[in-house]
Amino acid sequence: MTLTRDPAPAGQQAPDGLVGKALRGPADRSPLGLVAVPLLALLGALVVGGVLMAVEGVAPLSAYGEVVRGVFGRTRGLVDTAVIATPLVLLALGITVAYRARVFTIGAEGQYIAGALAGTAWATVGPLPGLPAPVLVVSSLAVAVLAGAAWSGVTAWLQSRFGASVVITSLLLNYVAAAVLAWAVRVGMRDPGSFTPQSRQVGDAALPDLPGTAIHLGFLFALLAVPTVAAVLRRTRFGFRVEVLGANPDVLAATEARPSRTRLWVLAVAGALAGLAGFVEVAGVTGRMTQAFAVGYGFTAIIVALLGRLRPLGVLAAALVMAGITVGFDEAERVFVIPSATVGVIQALIVVFFVTGDALSRRRLRRREGA
Amino acid sequence: MDTLFTLATLAAAVRLAIPVAVAALGEVVTERSGVLNLGLEGTMLFGALAGYLATLATGSPWIGLGAGLGAGAGCGALLALLMVVVRADQIVTGLAFTLFAGSATTYLFELSYTIGQPPPRIESLSMVPLVVIVLVVLVAVWFLLTRTSAGLVLSAAGEAPAAADALGYRVARVRAAATVAGSALAGLAGAMLVCGPLGLFVQNVTAGRGWVALALVVFARWRPGRAVAGALLFGLCDAAQLRLQGTATQIPYEVFLALPYVVTLLALMVRARRSGTPAALAVPFVRGPAR
Amino acid sequence: MTSAPPAVVTGVRRRFGAGPPALDGVDLELRAGEVHAVLGENGAGKTTLMRILAGLDEPDEGSVVVAGEPVTEFTPRALRERGVAMVQQHFTLVPTLTAGENLALARPEGRLRPGARRVRRRVEALAQRYGLPVRADVPVDRLSVGEQQRLEILRALDADARLLILDEPTAVLVDAEAEALLAVCRALAAEGRAVVIITHRLAEVFAGCDRVTVLRRGAVVCAGEPVSAHDRTSLATLMVGAVPAPPLSIERPARSGVIRIALDGAARGRLRPLDLEVHAGEVLGVAGVDGNGQAELEDLLAGIAAPQQGTVCVEGTEMPVGAPRERVGKRVAYVPADRYRRALAGPLSLADNLELGRGPSRRAPRGRREEQAVPALAAWDVRAAGPGASAASLSGGNAQKLVLARELGVGPAVVVAAQPTRGLDPEAARMITERILAAAADGAAVVWFGAELDELFAVADRLVVLADGIATPFEPPYDRAAVGMAMAGGAGA
Repeated sequence: MTLTRDPAPAGQQAPDGLVGKALRGPADRSPLGLVAVPLLALLGALVVGGVLMAVEGVAPLSAYGEVVRGVFGRTRGLVDTAVIATPLVLLALGITVAYRARVFTIGAEGQYIAGALAGTAWATVGPLPGLPAPVLVVSSLAVAVLAGAAWSGVTAWLQSRFGASVVITSLLLNYVAAAVLAWAVRVGMRDPGSFTPQSRQVGDAALPDLPGTAIHLGFLFALLAVPTVAAVLRRTRFGFRVEVLGANPDVLAATEARPSRTRLWVLAVAGALAGLAGFVEVAGVTGRMTQAFAVGYGFTAIIVALLGRLRPLGVLAAALVMAGITVGFDEAERVFVIPSATVGVIQALIVVFFVTGDALSRRRLRRREGA
Repeated sequence: MDTLFTLATLAAAVRLAIPVAVAALGEVVTERSGVLNLGLEGTMLFGALAGYLATLATGSPWIGLGAGLGAGAGCGALLALLMVVVRADQIVTGLAFTLFAGSATTYLFELSYTIGQPPPRIESLSMVPLVVIVLVVLVAVWFLLTRTSAGLVLSAAGEAPAAADALGYRVARVRAAATVAGSALAGLAGAMLVCGPLGLFVQNVTAGRGWVALALVVFARWRPGRAVAGALLFGLCDAAQLRLQGTATQIPYEVFLALPYVVTLLALMVRARRSGTPAALAVPFVRGPAR
Repeated sequence: MTSAPPAVVTGVRRRFGAGPPALDGVDLELRAGEVHAVLGENGAGKTTLMRILAGLDEPDEGSVVVAGEPVTEFTPRALRERGVAMVQQHFTLVPTLTAGENLALARPEGRLRPGARRVRRRVEALAQRYGLPVRADVPVDRLSVGEQQRLEILRALDADARLLILDEPTAVLVDAEAEALLAVCRALAAEGRAVVIITHRLAEVFAGCDRVTVLRRGAVVCAGEPVSAHDRTSLATLMVGAVPAPPLSIERPARSGVIRIALDGAARGRLRPLDLEVHAGEVLGVAGVDGNGQAELEDLLAGIAAPQQGTVCVEGTEMPVGAPRERVGKRVAYVPADRYRRALAGPLSLADNLELGRGPSRRAPRGRREEQAVPALAAWDVRAAGPGASAASLSGGNAQKLVLARELGVGPAVVVAAQPTRGLDPEAARMITERILAAAADGAAVVWFGAELDELFAVADRLVVLADGIATPFEPPYDRAAVGMAMAGGAGA
């Protein structure tokens, strides 16, 4: 006698994993444990990075000093950090909503591309040319949001209709999106005046910079999205259903709503934020779509969401730290001879240490509880 | 279309299919036991780097292949420790590992040669031995899964871990072994990529082939023969896509880029049970209390 | 006979959580060559006892001696090696493997798997030897339930089980299959094995068992007496008890004429078409052993599943299905049998759990929600660290009080309560019983699903016994033996 009529596919019900419990359980209740593991992971990765640099013959402390100066010592550093963090924040917020509901999509990358493509297409080859700039910006963003949500919604449909695992279908759709991107910039919405495959400039749909800075408006969207998502999760019925779905789909079905319906909305929200991130990146940074548009932010954002402990404020902090490390090392590499992959190694180590540390702390907790 | 399916295209298809086939075979073994290893791409990268460096050092691509196999097994041991023993989330662990591998291999690779000079090429194997290796691995995996008692235990761990446990099998041990074995094959696959006709390592040399292999496992419904067939289909699409890029045709080559994934998605549009998904895939096994 | 008896259990106690002990000092001796029936109501402890014998659970106290040697390691493997095998109600076969492969998994013949022919011969030989036909080369999930059960038994026999335990083996079988199975059990006993059949059906006990042990509330009330020394009435009385419980202190007005729930030929799954009306102020008791249609009836009344035929109406309109908030809007309170599966989100706070299914679409800040939860928690005496504590941290009694605080909070029109006192300490059980009866006194129609007859006799104005999906009504004063017999396979059987 099961309650959920939608089949529970593999990969959806990991009862004991990190993602599932990252948001709740006793460990969660202590603020120290919440922040300590990510911070220790950061520290550990920096120490290992320092050792690597020392082996290379670079004094780690001066290198790290340069990293810090690279971010905080100049306007450009802060600007770059904000700009890089922008798509990560938006993507990771969507992932936060999904993972809190224990809907493990890894399709943010594809949704990001879908949103960027749809928004760019609307802005450059859309059916309504000559719209005034503000209308164009808003309508392009709306198109991007819808496209991302639809792209993500496909996975929800495949699950409720066929019981196909969201993990796998969302992953597959990333590749389909990449192929569509390749075609779109080569043929579909190519700039006829360009020799290399790329779209036209988004022109009037470009996001203006925030007054008095070189940071595009998208950063403000990201900043606003943080309290918005937090409020949605805490203060709305939808947010409540997200939590209940994550806790127990059968209880949701018996007391609140159909899990398949809630799951569809969860995925749509995640996709919408990813789509938004995609077009914000085009309209704020690249100005047009190219083959090289997809750089894996959709995957990095999963990491950001987890490091942020699936909490909006945590996501913002994690995104800024990850972006800051990137920017700071860029600068440090100008001064010291550091292999360019060092920063990647450090970022990846943060994640590996975090995953390990989190699993270990949970294990100790389980033991102590005697469960 | 007649320009498309020339002997050269077919040869290219086989060449492109080889590493994907071996990685997919490894993942079939891993997933049959109930572990979803999203670290496959990263494991292939480590295998590729190990294969390259070992060949560079010894001059023998065969030793390179062995190094790839070993490196893959090492990655598998780490992943098994995290995913099976510590029971960290499989999806997160795999993703994190792949992310880590991308940076770590680049870092190690950059240490291995002096900046400014082109990285040296290595001795490379011809297609024939590589094809033979694929066939040997295929037969070995098929034999393991369908003809040995160990294969039965593996399936039981992935389908009904509680039943396997009740029969006295150690589910965690079986899954750890399957993860190590599957990862070893992924490492071998990476090494076959660089020690084959390519003959060198570049940053992110696997270029998503590990992810393709993961998709192929779904497409193949967790059967080794179909995984290799799927890899060939992928190779064919990839070769067609490469070939079409150079010519002016009506068919956009991107269709072939997307085709393997679309076909896999279509293959998933059957009832979940019949899709052959191991029932306990990505579900950690915890011995339950009496109910 | 020189050999030791297959199993001797002495003074075994087992307790889960804070509830009453599942087994409270049980003694049992099984003999080679007998078919032994273990009889009892739901929750009497019969399955727990047998799980211990099979190494699936461990006793808190007491000793188990198998084939003359005391058991120290309670694992399935250790006991299987000593010749004990149990066929559980939930089969432990690997569904994607064939019958032959499942046998090979349980007892591999070397490192390589034997060929298809050899596997088929092995299955066929076993099947023929024991008269349990099973198709050898079809995946188990395509076998019928009866075939799967036969395969489970064959697997146990293949391991040369000297003591075979079957948990409610006939529950999933049609009559002809059940008869054949009992014949096989007799044949196995004739070979010198011991066969234990856990059952609640009296017919089975008389159809082929040599001795019978009756458990009631974790204690033995009939210790391995010959079946021939009993008749249906005496066993039914032993099973459900003879001493009436003390009456509850709730005075309730006579039921009013308003019909709150009406089932008109409603059927689903095992539940045969049922006509039923429950009036305001009335408590209808539903008795029966698991798997006889109560779960389906519970789902229909709670709007979780739609009837496959007929209708379910609440206060004159059809019960909304799959729309829990509408159910709540109709003031239908639902207290499910499995709290943590359907009623409580364990990781969420008590305040959040009180809000499930009700509450505005814009939620108040957490502090205020928790403040608002305090009076309800106090009124129901939910003892916890505070409204922010997780529901999972509650003890069974407090968790159930939390469910009731939510469901009964608004003055319900209908209460669907499935085993609301199961596993609770007496104090909590009494409070919950009194509160549900108070709701009835305030005009709610109550449907109370119970496993224990004493409890139902005390609370119910009317009783319906479900057996094989068919309902038999009873009015007070209740005839204990007649009700017990209806539960155990129909009064006419």
